[in-house]
Amino acid sequence: MDEIKEVSLEMKDYIVSSGAETLSWCMQCGLCTNLCPWRLVPGEISEAFNIRKMQRLGQLGLEGFEDENVLFACATCGMCLVNCPRKVEIIDNVRSMRNTTVAAGFLPANLRPIAGSLHANGNPWSGAHEKRAEWQEGLNIPAFSDDTEYLLYVCCTSCFDTRSQKIAKSIVNLLQKAGVSFGVLTAEENCCGETIRKLGDEELFQKLAESNIKLFNGKGVKKIITTSPHCLYAFKKDYPELGGNYEVVHYAELLGDLLKQGKISFSTELAKKVTFHDPCYLGRHNQVYDPQRELLKAVPGVEFVELGRNKEKSLCCAGGGGRVWAEAPMGERFGELRITDAVDKQADILVTACPYCIAMLDDACAGLEKGDVLKVMEMSELLNASL
Amino acid sequence: MAKGIWVVVEQRDLQIRKVSLELLSQGRKIADETGESLVAVILGQGIEGLAQTVSANGADKVILVEDEKLAEYTTGAYTSVLNKLIRKEEPQVVLTGNTAVGKDLFPRLAQRLGVGLASDCTGIEVDSSSFMVFKRPIYAGKAFEFVSSTVRPILATIRPNTFALGTPDAGRTAEVVKETADIDAGDLRAILKEVAIAASKRPELTEANIIVSGGRGMKGPENYVILEALADVIGAAVGASRAAVDAGWKEQKFQVGQTGKTVSPTLYIACGISGAIQHLAGMGSSKFIVAINKDPEANIFNVADYGIVGDLFDVVPILTEEFKKIVG
Amino acid sequence: MNIVVLIKQTFDTEAKIVLDANGKIDANGVNLIINPYDEYAIEEGIRLKEKLGGEVTVVTLGGARAQEAVRTALAMGVDKGVVVSDPAIDTSDDWANVEIIAKAVAQIPFDIILSGRIAIDDGASQTAVRLAEALSVPSVSSVIKLEATGDQLVATREIDGGTELIEVALPAVITAQKGLNEPRYPSVAGIMKAKKKPLKTLTLADLGLSAGDLAPKMVVTKMTLPDPRKAGIRIPGEAADAAKELAKLLHEEAKVL
Repeated sequence: MDEIKEVSLEMKDYIVSSGAETLSWCMQCGLCTNLCPWRLVPGEISEAFNIRKMQRLGQLGLEGFEDENVLFACATCGMCLVNCPRKVEIIDNVRSMRNTTVAAGFLPANLRPIAGSLHANGNPWSGAHEKRAEWQEGLNIPAFSDDTEYLLYVCCTSCFDTRSQKIAKSIVNLLQKAGVSFGVLTAEENCCGETIRKLGDEELFQKLAESNIKLFNGKGVKKIITTSPHCLYAFKKDYPELGGNYEVVHYAELLGDLLKQGKISFSTELAKKVTFHDPCYLGRHNQVYDPQRELLKAVPGVEFVELGRNKEKSLCCAGGGGRVWAEAPMGERFGELRITDAVDKQADILVTACPYCIAMLDDACAGLEKGDVLKVMEMSELLNASL
Repeated sequence: MAKGIWVVVEQRDLQIRKVSLELLSQGRKIADETGESLVAVILGQGIEGLAQTVSANGADKVILVEDEKLAEYTTGAYTSVLNKLIRKEEPQVVLTGNTAVGKDLFPRLAQRLGVGLASDCTGIEVDSSSFMVFKRPIYAGKAFEFVSSTVRPILATIRPNTFALGTPDAGRTAEVVKETADIDAGDLRAILKEVAIAASKRPELTEANIIVSGGRGMKGPENYVILEALADVIGAAVGASRAAVDAGWKEQKFQVGQTGKTVSPTLYIACGISGAIQHLAGMGSSKFIVAINKDPEANIFNVADYGIVGDLFDVVPILTEEFKKIVG
Repeated sequence: MNIVVLIKQTFDTEAKIVLDANGKIDANGVNLIINPYDEYAIEEGIRLKEKLGGEVTVVTLGGARAQEAVRTALAMGVDKGVVVSDPAIDTSDDWANVEIIAKAVAQIPFDIILSGRIAIDDGASQTAVRLAEALSVPSVSSVIKLEATGDQLVATREIDGGTELIEVALPAVITAQKGLNEPRYPSVAGIMKAKKKPLKTLTLADLGLSAGDLAPKMVVTKMTLPDPRKAGIRIPGEAADAAKELAKLLHEEAKVL
């Protein structure tokens, strides 16, 4: 006979008190699971993880959601939210369920160095904090002050990963060419904390957020440009509850406006078939879809083609929710599906606008050995090449 | 008045461990500097022939303790014998290697003697006030502490390879003293049933002092033999990048990086690894990083202390031969 | 079976080491964790209890935040916690720490004492073996496999280049090496239960000790930080020459071989 499972309202209350306020709204229709990208890949994690069931286990206070392949599988892509008829804040519930174990000191082993580095260095990449602004040498970027309009906040990934530094440098050049008044506080900044919050380490998130808010408020920051959609999310949606209120834009939004105003234009021809992967945190989470497309179409010679799954229906690269540090075997990575999507459209270049997406898609492209037919580029790099 | 610098010489199957000879060599220098005598202590069975080796390596006096119960190392028997010997002879300092034996024996011996122990030392300074100050890495080498004691004797275990081997002088002779083993019954409660020596057991990745790692540049699983040959010469673990694991050349358990195992060995040798951020973040705290890669633009060179732009298939075999010469 | 697990709260493995104005390690703002090797000891203790019955008590010596480490162990499935906390331990050495722990452990019935083989902060690897001596019981260090019956342990211990199989009668001390087990993640139910488990805090006075009894045998005269990393160099030349030069640099300059 199967073991008798004990329903625990006490546990349910504990999960709700950790922040899963809409947990009980779920009526178990299963539309969320239907849209979840894990349904598109085979394997152990896919078999273990069912977002509807995870909500149910939480509602009933039943054990089982703590399994690493369940609790930490969600990439927080937000696809499930689109269909939910009850508007359950599914990602908040996932975050809260993670918090029940993480707050007690039980982050999975592979994530401990990440949290450790965030504590010690203020970034998840084990980079020394004093080297955060090293990539800016020779670029002549002013410090943020009363004389600069925007603060340019550069994602940790683009500060420490040499591949990703090219993104930061391209964005700086584009903003400079467009005459944007901006400055940086990079050397004093810490990680925005978006991802560690999704991983359930609320305490660490608050520590990071509070240090940034103190810095920004102290320097009189009002407007922020982010290089990553994840930082955009943190500043727009997480920071206000801690007293950080800023006008925040992703660089694509700002460049889109500047394009319309004629303050930036592209002249070097690029006769390529180009497609765009909508980052979840730029698209679904922040509803930014058009500027990227307008910018890419403004590059002379570019033939823009949409991927089959685009905009609201864009398929996650699997880099969100801490999955950028998770390991799924080849054949079970969403990024591979994305590369295949682009190759199917016979695109020469797959463009995206997020450092996590770049890491995941670069990796998938190399893994599938498609580097000879498809190039993965961050939008700023492509635009910069056409200035 | 405490006197003498003692080295507890470790032997297995009548082979003296290299670290013991390193300590004799360094002990000789300190003995000459301080006017102390250098005493080698050997426990075991059939060890008489080792006296010549230790005297050639610098000992003024050799204490041999022969007993069948000492043939193989056991915590209790060795503690029993050394405790009595030390209480009788009252040396200033007792040194041994920070090996599996040293790490097990010296804490117990120190507690029985009621003295301090400086463990896993990487340096000794002779000091006029406290005789010797020991340097030891703490926080995995992220800091050092210097410790000393006025209580005699001071016990210390020294990390292998801290001191250079000297040149043995076959003409040297030392006074050889034989002591009988007086082992308390209470010290024989743990019984050694079996010793299994693995022919070539590579250390586990996260425990290894040295890691040799291969990436996409390895071109195929069959080529890992050249890394394994290199690793076995220097007692290293063999790791792989994610690309090599994805290609199916190595199992996932060998993957180094944030999505595999985070490591911080003393030496990390990256062969044919370009250096994705997850890989670099997972091994960047290694004390010394060597990169061998054909691509001069590879990210790995940004974190490498020593880089060779070249074909790993040319470089690694020569490196293996060179390492053989060094480690002997 | 009565099982005691000795644990230590240490700096996070990623922690940056900074010296304060007095030249001591600055613990300010540092994230603390359970010493990873002690996690293996906790896990093994819980497994022994699950197999043989009995009770697992965690003992730690530490500062104000040490309770967090004990709560974590309680969430994993340990039954009781004891924290010995006293300003005097800031300057105590391995010998003195063991004198304190021995007194605390003596108040708890024990058949087996488990601890990590090394703590990643001071890297001394002394406490557990010294404790065995202080309690006059045998010990086996660096254990990667443990089989227990009611009155005896068979332990596989890691040695340089191999293993030893050691049989020992209880009571005994075992130090855990990586590979002994895979520490568990607790269920949320376990975490909730842990909040209600007994946790006792003791001072030196509670143990009948005073700072005067604990004059250290070993003193730290100074602490230093390693030299900053030098800029990397590219070794020029053909493969053969470069490899030779590299071997030489690793041996003579880096001194890692």
